[in-house]
Amino acid sequence: MSDPIGYTLHVNGVDYPVVAEQGRNLLSVIRTEIGLTGTKEGCDDCECGACMVLLDGQPVNSCSFLAAQAQGRSVTTVEGLQQGDEMHPLQRNILEAGGVQCGFCTPGMLLSATALLERNPSPTEEEVRIGLSGNLCRCTGYAKIVTAVQRTADELRH
Amino acid sequence: MSTATSAPRFVRADGPDKVTGSGRYTADLTLTGALVAKFKYAEVSHARIVRLDVTAARAIPGVFAVLTQDDVPDVRFGPFVQDRTLFARDVVRFEGEILAAVAAVDVPTAQRALNAIVVEFAPLPVVNDIEEALAADSPLVHDEWSAYGAIDPLVRDRNDASFASIAKGDVDQGLAEADVVVHSRYVADGCHAAPIEPRAVVAQWEGNKVTIWTSTQVPFDARAGVCETLELPANRVRIIVPHLGGGFGGKCGFHYEAHVAALAKATKRPVRLVFSRREEFVAPDRRREGIVFDFQTGVLRDGTITARKVWLAIDNGAYTADAGFFSQLAAMHALGPYQVPNALAEAHLVYTNHQPSGSVRAPTAPQTCWALESHTDEVAAAIGMDPVEFRLKNAVATGKEGPSAQVYDEIGLVDCIRAATAGAGYGGDLADDEAIGVAIGWWPSFSVPSGAYVKIDGDGSGQIITGAQECGTGAVMTLRQLVADELGMQAEDFELVYQDTSVAPYDMGATGSQTLFNNGRAAVAAAGQIAEQLKQLAADHLEASPADIVLADGAASVAGTPSRSVPIVELAGIAAGGELLIGHGSGAPPAPPAVTGATCVGDVGMTAWVAPQFSCHAVRVKLDRDTGVARVLHVSTAHDSGTIINPIGATGQVEGGVLMGIGQALTEGTRYDDDGKQRNAALLEYKLQTCADAPPIDIHFVQINTPNAGPRGAKGLAEAPNVATAAAISNALAKLVGTPIRQLPMTAERVWTALNQEGGAA
Repeated sequence: MSDPIGYTLHVNGVDYPVVAEQGRNLLSVIRTEIGLTGTKEGCDDCECGACMVLLDGQPVNSCSFLAAQAQGRSVTTVEGLQQGDEMHPLQRNILEAGGVQCGFCTPGMLLSATALLERNPSPTEEEVRIGLSGNLCRCTGYAKIVTAVQRTADELRH
Repeated sequence: MSTATSAPRFVRADGPDKVTGSGRYTADLTLTGALVAKFKYAEVSHARIVRLDVTAARAIPGVFAVLTQDDVPDVRFGPFVQDRTLFARDVVRFEGEILAAVAAVDVPTAQRALNAIVVEFAPLPVVNDIEEALAADSPLVHDEWSAYGAIDPLVRDRNDASFASIAKGDVDQGLAEADVVVHSRYVADGCHAAPIEPRAVVAQWEGNKVTIWTSTQVPFDARAGVCETLELPANRVRIIVPHLGGGFGGKCGFHYEAHVAALAKATKRPVRLVFSRREEFVAPDRRREGIVFDFQTGVLRDGTITARKVWLAIDNGAYTADAGFFSQLAAMHALGPYQVPNALAEAHLVYTNHQPSGSVRAPTAPQTCWALESHTDEVAAAIGMDPVEFRLKNAVATGKEGPSAQVYDEIGLVDCIRAATAGAGYGGDLADDEAIGVAIGWWPSFSVPSGAYVKIDGDGSGQIITGAQECGTGAVMTLRQLVADELGMQAEDFELVYQDTSVAPYDMGATGSQTLFNNGRAAVAAAGQIAEQLKQLAADHLEASPADIVLADGAASVAGTPSRSVPIVELAGIAAGGELLIGHGSGAPPAPPAVTGATCVGDVGMTAWVAPQFSCHAVRVKLDRDTGVARVLHVSTAHDSGTIINPIGATGQVEGGVLMGIGQALTEGTRYDDDGKQRNAALLEYKLQTCADAPPIDIHFVQINTPNAGPRGAKGLAEAPNVATAAAISNALAKLVGTPIRQLPMTAERVWTALNQEGGAA
């Protein structure tokens, strides 16, 4: 790793001053320097999607993105989905539909789904399934997660 | 029989933590001054250690400790065979065996220390094939096998770590009397649990007591392992499990808690271990075992089975872990949930220089069911009988005798077959490139001790303090509903205190689908004691007899006189000033039925099952004959898991289990190189099913009254959906290809090869 550098990251609407080695990935900086542990590490290789965050609204595997390159951009993690004490409809629906079991893939899944609904407010079931196919879940078989995303799309349209 | 579930919809108590990111998993924890742990692995499959020198590694600034077997008590351990030490001693037997553990100030320093450890090996011959390992002239994986301690019933011989057989009637006579004998060979590769959370352990000593936060499915087992290997009493080892990111059996057993605790003791600092995905694939002794099968089944032309003879050999890997009972369990699964008058199953658990096997979601069952049920379709075809009709004729049923001579009480397998095939539209028209395969499976309910406490405080809020472990299934979450119903309260009135061995009584853990079955019974018993206390308090308050008090809707009332009533919260206030509301329960596990009609060698209690679970899967598969790529279009499942208490959790278990089964059927298999090392220890090469792969799954629950079931007639469910999935896919593929695919997973390459070999339908 190279020498530490100082920069600012804008995460969930808050500016965080960071001092970290240049080679550090965004996942590691979010979890250990900023202290938000909702974003998970499942493979460190872009294979599982557990570390997914939004970068200016686009889903990114934070394990494979240099933290310093996120300067000047808006980072959203699972902790940023809630509005005050109010859950995001996706959070509420994934819970009520039973789309959460162990919960380890859930943060990444929620951010993928958020990005999906942002770019496509009326996805078909197939579009939901393709949109979430970068996030591995070993518990649920995905059925209830898909239901939750479709239910949320319905709610947000009405 | 009922296929409807009327229970209320249920939102899990740990859900808000998990969807907001506030829930803490083990790798999310940190302690002031914590050091980083890293392991030095063998990276060869079989070798004698000529030199292991950690002097240079210990001298690196920032390295606080480097431990080897010389630095811990010299204890051989293992639940069935004591064939393992914490660190390698003299010989390494698989690539993921630990030579040394480092604690350092940060990851780069720990890595430098690993690189500075000097290791010299003298190669030993690699035992890389299950059948060759059983040959009389095979090299031994353990030279000293006969000197190892082992539990009494195990029958061991050289590389055979556990031989078991089940014999009933006269199998040779039965085969001789058959009109047709079908002989089949199948080979299943090993595969992985692959939870999305890689395991993590944090350990900290205070005085002579250690607290270990760990991603285990079995906290009490983990504690027992630490106590045994570090020679500590149970009351000085506290295991706490934060939220657990999935397990599927992969996080059962005792793993790295003692290594990290030993590092923390040596350094007098907290120490933290977090696995990489590659370590998760290569190191733990929890791989699903590869198995080689040889089946012979004799039938009459009318479809009556006269005899079944099975030989099978299971890849134990380098150490026995909890696989000691797999040989007998696989023997049961190989005979199957069928009425077989003359049966012989012989099963070997064979040492190789592979990663050790261990309980992964229904150990031995999906592979064995795949082989048996593929064979069963061959048997039905040999006499020109429809395979569903053949199963309806021969499946075990209420009052009928199974292959181990157990006579079954109320069971719903035949109902499962009818429901699953109806849900699939079995027998209807299909496109040329589609077929429906059907398979049946079974799984025991493990009847084991289990404990829970319940208390209600003066404000009327309650806590359930349970030894049970939640791995995501929701089984522990369901305890709130059970306890609340006993007390006429709401599930939301109770919080769960769980996953802490120093706080709660024993439970076996999130293993064997046993949580609701056993711990549910314990929690209900604990709540029952409080119900008695509340009734006495209410009787005193209302001047009535305790026998006349009813607990409902948050109040205690005199039966038939609802106006004579007192809120439970008021009774809780009274109790807080006198005799506190505290209940304790343990599961009082029902004994397995006595069976005398079969002869069992190596008997570890797997041949007579309390409240067994049954299932039938009917799966529609589409095959691209040009490429061999199979796609599952629809799954219809039916399960007899007794009463369904939490429908949302139950259907979630089936959906997840079926999808895991599809992965095992088509893509998930470990490949070994010539040296016994894994070739696909990464998620890009070991493919899990994605959201886009998952087919619609229709679920039917056959709910019948089962004697000796758990609370309200519930049996286990989490493992059962995994059992018959690959088998049903196999039977669909066999119809499309014209011959069974005799290797698992049934990858596109293997399907294509079968299509293009002589006898294929291409």
